[in-house]
Amino acid sequence: MDYSNLRRQAASMKKSLFDQGYLDEQFCQVEDLQDEASPNFVEEVVTLFFKDSGRLMSNIEQALEKYPRDFNRWDTYMQQLKGSCSSIGASRMKNECMSFRDSCGQGNVEGCMRSFQKVKREHAVLRQKLESYFQLLRQAGPAGAATRPVM
Amino acid sequence: MARKMIRVLLVEDEEINRVVARAALKAAGGGDVVDEAENGEVAVQRVRDAAAPYDLVLMDKQMPVMDGHEATRRIRGMGVTTPIVAVSSDGLPADVDAFITAGADDFTSKVRACAQRRDSHACNGMGMPSHILCPRRSWESSLPNLDLLNDVYICVLLN
Repeated sequence: MDYSNLRRQAASMKKSLFDQGYLDEQFCQVEDLQDEASPNFVEEVVTLFFKDSGRLMSNIEQALEKYPRDFNRWDTYMQQLKGSCSSIGASRMKNECMSFRDSCGQGNVEGCMRSFQKVKREHAVLRQKLESYFQLLRQAGPAGAATRPVM
Repeated sequence: MARKMIRVLLVEDEEINRVVARAALKAAGGGDVVDEAENGEVAVQRVRDAAAPYDLVLMDKQMPVMDGHEATRRIRGMGVTTPIVAVSSDGLPADVDAFITAGADDFTSKVRACAQRRDSHACNGMGMPSHILCPRRSWESSLPNLDLLNDVYICVLLN
């Protein structure tokens, strides 16, 4: 198997995630924390993120249904999700979280609903892209740990 | 010479944020003790019951049971002078002011702990990088256990 080609593909995929705004510098910060003692740290954190964010999004969805126009509650839940997004550098998701919170601040129900749909879409896309990325990294082997993309 | 170990209290309800912050603090080296509290009430208890004072408290804002503002107020109300740095993805001026009013020493939107050689960064006269000076209080002078002359130090980088 051509491992160097796989590594190149992984690097290219990661660069694309940055270029398209899915990830920001914070993701690199998380990568910098990976070492020999925690060789799968990044993937573990990302897995935890998707588990957490799934739960938080479910809370938001329920709140939108059960507590109409409770913008304070909606905002509180979304702030938690935004915080999680910030931790791993999920930039596009974070921006949509911020849009949602802006709509909460304006008392704009439709705006909140629209933003939440976008949050869900970005979440699904990011999950798919990162799953592909880590799958490629695993195929590329231990030396496939990515380097910082040239930004 | 190795940097002295410091005791940090990490107050954060979201597990992912604790995991990343813990790893960042570990990466800074020094074998620092990192205690965790999942909300403000637990944080106040930890501070009150600690056998030795913490050197640094990293405080989240939004938490169940008791939020970061109230926890900061209560810790200060106990006469504790440990530096408290608020950590929140919200960096609005109102949020920062609320924390400082409650008694926090400074605010950052994320914790990035790094272990770096002192000579690779511009430092102020105390040996701390100039970008981590707190404009509101000189909390760096409240860190007696940090040997600022050592080669390796923790920096809590402010955005």
